[in-house]
Amino acid sequence: MDEQGARAFGFHGTWRDYAPIAFTNLLLTIVTLGIYRFWATTRTRRYLWSRTRFIDERLEWGGTGLELLIGFLLVILLFAVPLLFLQFGMQAMIFQGYVGEAMSLAALAFAMIFYLGGVARFRMLRYRLSRTWWHGIRGGADDKGWGYGWSYCWRYALATMAISLPIPWAMTSLWNQRWAAMSFGPFAFESDARAGPLFGRFLLFYLLPIVFVVLGFGLLRMIAGDGALLLMRPGEAPDPRLLFLFALFALLIYGSLGVVALIYYAKFFRVAIGGMALSTLDFRFDARSWDWLRLILGDIALVVLTLGIGLIFLSYRHWKFFVTHLDATGEIHLSELTQSTTRAPGQGEGLADAFDIGAI
Amino acid sequence: MTSAGPDESIWHYDGARATRHHPRLDWTVDGFSLDWGTGRSGPHRWSALVPMDGTAGRSVYGLRGESGWRLGFAGPPPEDFAVHLPLPARYGRWIDRIGLWRALGLFAVLAAAVIFLVLNAPGWIAPWIPRSWEDRLGDAMVGDFGGRLCETPASRAALEKLRRQLGPDVPIRSIAIANIGMVNAVALPGGRILLFNDLLSEAKSPDELAGVLAHEIGHVRHRDTMAALVRQLGLSVVLGGFDGQVGGAVNGLLAMSYSRDAERAADGYSIAALRAANISPLPTAAFFDRLAKVSGGETIERATSWMASHPVSAERRAAFERSAVKGHLYAPALTRAEWTALVDACTDDPDVKASDSVF
Repeated sequence: MDEQGARAFGFHGTWRDYAPIAFTNLLLTIVTLGIYRFWATTRTRRYLWSRTRFIDERLEWGGTGLELLIGFLLVILLFAVPLLFLQFGMQAMIFQGYVGEAMSLAALAFAMIFYLGGVARFRMLRYRLSRTWWHGIRGGADDKGWGYGWSYCWRYALATMAISLPIPWAMTSLWNQRWAAMSFGPFAFESDARAGPLFGRFLLFYLLPIVFVVLGFGLLRMIAGDGALLLMRPGEAPDPRLLFLFALFALLIYGSLGVVALIYYAKFFRVAIGGMALSTLDFRFDARSWDWLRLILGDIALVVLTLGIGLIFLSYRHWKFFVTHLDATGEIHLSELTQSTTRAPGQGEGLADAFDIGAI
Repeated sequence: MTSAGPDESIWHYDGARATRHHPRLDWTVDGFSLDWGTGRSGPHRWSALVPMDGTAGRSVYGLRGESGWRLGFAGPPPEDFAVHLPLPARYGRWIDRIGLWRALGLFAVLAAAVIFLVLNAPGWIAPWIPRSWEDRLGDAMVGDFGGRLCETPASRAALEKLRRQLGPDVPIRSIAIANIGMVNAVALPGGRILLFNDLLSEAKSPDELAGVLAHEIGHVRHRDTMAALVRQLGLSVVLGGFDGQVGGAVNGLLAMSYSRDAERAADGYSIAALRAANISPLPTAAFFDRLAKVSGGETIERATSWMASHPVSAERRAAFERSAVKGHLYAPALTRAEWTALVDACTDDPDVKASDSVF
């Protein structure tokens, strides 16, 4: 049944094919003051989906720019405008001395936004599945995600209270809950990701500050103590090399934090996607930390070398990365794959859009 | 009737099951139908076909009203079949109709017009907003400032004297001193002006205060606060199309770069008001000079001033200095007793809240 190669997923796009889409999208988005970006997203996805093969057939993106715009406008109307009023009211309350009341209102608004962030993650996935077609069949979810929002809130609240140690548990259990609500055709996704294998890498986040403190003390000894460098003596102007040293140290902190995050997320995606199944299909994701590092370094180089214009190619790069590392095993019986009976949402991922979630 | 297929290059999904069919195509001028032995679809009208784009050399069509129904060709469809088919949308229906470059030009002109309107309209709209609305808005925002306003009978009289000198015909509803540790003054909606306490303790003479106060009175007279509110609202609507970060950055830039004109106009009012009241502008100029030193030197300020909301202090100082008439005998804005009453208002007012502010 395979079209080419042994992998279930394949990507067949080229950046030269995509470039005309990316550049016209950029131009049209600028001259329409951003309104075209919903159509731009749709054109990009149409391209990426249609160049993605699953077993013997390409995927198809069935969404429209108009429904993304409507989703966006709905969110503005229902959430952004009330929040604006809330903010205005809070300023007035602070001006008039009701600081405590203003603070509790702010806390309430924060909780509300956090909850909606969870709902947004769910609804984004639901929308994308409902617009993804393969062999004339689409995905979807019957659940609308309002309950998932609460689950998202309490799990993260609990995890944060316990010095963030249970974060891997919160992430995997939410991933499982989200995917278990999704389906493609008549089949529900199964998701059974375990947090256990993640803790080792997650602990690196706790190790890092200790390393920094030790390194920092070493650095201090080097510059101010009896070390050989003696860049700073009491009563004298500091050596200019000192500034360079501090900049290097700051860069080291940021860089190593990024690398640790990368190492963790690489494992997370392998575990999370590896725990997923659809009917008789089992999914697998094989990107290792090194692959992720190359992706990110490539992103940075592309954006820096093109003075920012490379940004418009990032969604292409990320999708390609995702598809080439995704694989599935098992058989799919096409005659059993019937049309989805889920209700497709009428509008696009406005909430996720408002919270800047999801890059593709 | 004309026919094509069945062969591997023509395929069909019925939208109910994932099974791929290779149908025979039959068509007339009115419509077409598909037949794959175990089932058939149609006849359908040509107008029901929806072209799908971005399919990598293949041609794929959907059917209006039947989601998941697909008809695909490995390359372009058979020629006499294709003449009946609509072209796939490319950039979006409206843009396809007029062409990409013309659409780009048209949108660019429209965008420029919208930006021009949003930047300028607030100045035109603000004077038409009823004063009573603005007053209510200002009251709702500020109230009694949480009891942090300092007032004694003597300070009230001194402020009233300044108001009479600097803005006799401007609808100012209140000038008050706020017990807040900032060297600043603000004009708020509803003709309210707040002088922050540290402005009074930093100022070396009542004439310096008069220059700053007259500047704020200028804002009230030009209804700048209302215009700023309207502009903020308009910008956030127009830039809503962009995502958060881009929109926020552009918003801040436009909102501020425009208000520099308003700041210059307020300085202009201040200079004129000082002249009319026979108060020397030189102390105000010196005050700006001191502010410039506090804010980190002129070069830094000049480098960042394209996005700062106030004109560079050096420019402002020069404008005030130029307006001074050499050899002219100016009168002080307040007597020594009146000035002391202002500076000490916050210590003398028995029931003012402390400045443990949240700012």
